[in-house]
Amino acid sequence: MSDLALPATISAAPPRRRRVRLPPLVIFAIGWLSLMLLTAFAADLVAPYPYTALDLRNRLSPPVFMGGTWLHPLGTDELGRDVLSRLIVSIRMSLLIAFGATAIGAILGVTLGFLAAHFRGAAEQAVLALVDFQASMPFLILALAVLAFFGNSLPLFICLLGLHGWERYARIARGLAVSASSQGYAAAVVQLGASPWRVYTRHVLPNIASTLIVSMTLAFPEIILLESGLSFLGLGVQPPLTSLGNMVGYGREYLTRAPWILLAPSCVIVLTTLSVSLLGDWLRDRLDPTLR
Amino acid sequence: MVRFLGLRLARALLTLVLVVTFAFIVLRLSGDPALLIMSADAPPEAIAAFRQAWGLDDPVWQQYLRYFTAIFRGDLGQSMRDGRPAIELVAERVPATLALTLPALAMKIGLGIPAGIYAALHRNSFADRAVMLLAVAGFTVPSFVLGLLLVLVFAVQLGWLPSGGQDSWRHAILPVLTLGIGGAAVLARFTRSAMLEVLGQPYMRTALAKGVPWHVAVRRHALPNAAIPTVTIVGFMVGSLLAGAVVVESVFSWPGVGRLLVVAVANRDLAVVQCILLLVATTMVSANLIVDLLYGALDPRLRAQAKGANG
Repeated sequence: MSDLALPATISAAPPRRRRVRLPPLVIFAIGWLSLMLLTAFAADLVAPYPYTALDLRNRLSPPVFMGGTWLHPLGTDELGRDVLSRLIVSIRMSLLIAFGATAIGAILGVTLGFLAAHFRGAAEQAVLALVDFQASMPFLILALAVLAFFGNSLPLFICLLGLHGWERYARIARGLAVSASSQGYAAAVVQLGASPWRVYTRHVLPNIASTLIVSMTLAFPEIILLESGLSFLGLGVQPPLTSLGNMVGYGREYLTRAPWILLAPSCVIVLTTLSVSLLGDWLRDRLDPTLR
Repeated sequence: MVRFLGLRLARALLTLVLVVTFAFIVLRLSGDPALLIMSADAPPEAIAAFRQAWGLDDPVWQQYLRYFTAIFRGDLGQSMRDGRPAIELVAERVPATLALTLPALAMKIGLGIPAGIYAALHRNSFADRAVMLLAVAGFTVPSFVLGLLLVLVFAVQLGWLPSGGQDSWRHAILPVLTLGIGGAAVLARFTRSAMLEVLGQPYMRTALAKGVPWHVAVRRHALPNAAIPTVTIVGFMVGSLLAGAVVVESVFSWPGVGRLLVVAVANRDLAVVQCILLLVATTMVSANLIVDLLYGALDPRLRAQAKGANG
C-alpha cells in the first residue's frame, strides 16, 4: 500500500518532521531510478554476456515477447550481440556521463557564481557576460563546434557536457550569495574572522543547497538527452564503447528488420529522463517553490 | 528608450564578439592549423611557407584582429572538402532547413500556447492533467526517438509516408511533426506556468473584486502579462530556426544546415562548422534583440523604467 499511515507518536513531533506522502508517480520514479543505479553499479554482475560477445548463430534473434528465446531475453543485433547485455553496459555509461557532467556543471557554475558575488565589479560583469553568451547559444551547436575542433575522447566529452547548464547554477549561486551576504549571518561569520572560503563553503553553500539540488535534477535529464542525441549522431560516445544514444543510432539501421535493437534503449532513455523530471518537479515543489 | 535600445544593441554585439572569440580560441587551441590543414608528413618548408602565407607566425593579437576583419568582410574560409566558400555551402542549405522549422514553429505556437492557456485556466481539470502529461512526455522523449517511432509507425508499418529524403511535401510531414510535437509540449508547459503565476497576482484579484467579468480580466490582465515570459521562449525558438533541427534532419536524411553541420563535424571541416556557428549566433542574437524590443512594446513598466533612467 502506498498509503503511509502516520504512527500516533509522530503527531506530537514538530510539523516539519511529518512523514512525506509520496505521489504514486514519484514512487515509480524513485523505483525506476534505483533500478537504473543498481544496474549501473552491478553491470558486470548482471549482464548475462560480455557486451561485445558475438553469437553468430543467433543473429537478429527477436526478444522473448516477440517470439524469441530466453537465451537472449531482449534479442540480439546483427552481429549476434546480446541486446540486454549491451543495454546494461550502456546504462552504466550514460549514467556515468550524466552524473559526471552534472557535477562538473554544478561545481563550475557555483564557483563562478560565488566569485562574481564575492568580488563584484569587473569580475561579476565578466561572469554575467559569459552567462549571457552561454544562455543565448543553443548548447548543441557549441558542443558540436568543440567536438569538430578537438576531436572526441570520453573525458573531453564528459567535460564538454559539464559545460551545459553551468550558467544556471552561476546565476542562482551569485544571486543567493549576494542576498546571503546582506542577511547578516554571513557578515557575522566574517566578523568572527572566517576566511571567504570558509564563509562560502560552510555557511552560504548549505543555505542554497536545496535550490542547487533542484536545479541539478532539472539539468540531469537534459544532459542525458544531450548525450544520447550526440551519440545518436555518431559524435558522442565512440564504439567499441556503447551508450544508450549510441545503441539507438546503431539500431536505426535495422529499423525495419529488428526494431527491438532501437526500442529497448529508447524506452530506457524515456523512462529515465521522465523519472528524473518527475522527481525534480516534486523536489522543486517541496524544497523550493520560488524556482520558476 | 534610446538608452534601453542602445544597451540591448551593445549586449547583442558583445555576444557576437564573444562567439567569434570563442571560435578563434577553440580553433587555435585545437592544434596548429598548418599541421591540421596540410598533412602531418608535409615537408617542413611547405609548412613554413603555409605559416608565412597565413600569418601564423605573427603575434596572436594580430591574428585575432585579422580574423575579425576577415569575418566582417564576409570571408569565412573555404570548405576543406570541396574548396568552395563555406558561406556558399551553408547558404544553399538554409531553405531546406527553414522548410522544416518554419511550419514546425507555427505548429508549436498554434498548439502549445492555446493548450498551455487552456490548462492554466482549467487548473487541475482532466484537460489540464492531460496537457501536462503530454507536455512532460514531449519533453522527455528525445526527438530522435520520437522521429524513429513515427517512421516505424507511419512509414514502416502503415506505409503512408516516406521515411526520409526530400522529394515532395509529403517527405516533410514526419520531420515537421517530430519537431513540432516536442516544441509544442515545451511551450505548453511554459505558457501554463506563466499563466498560473499571473492568475495568482494581486492585480487579478483587484480586477475581479472591482466586478470585471472573468473572461475580460483574463483577456485584459492575465494574457498580456503572461505573454512576457512566453515571448522569451518563443524568441529562443525563432532564434534556433536554423540550428534546432540538427538531430531531426539526421533522422530523416533531410539535406539542411543541421545535416551539413553533422557531416562537417565528423569530417572536421572547420570552416563550415565555424560558418554555421556564426550564422546560428547571429540569428539567435537577432531574435533576442527582437524579443527585447517586444518587451518594450508589451510591457509599459519597462518603457516607464527606461524613460525614468533616461531623464
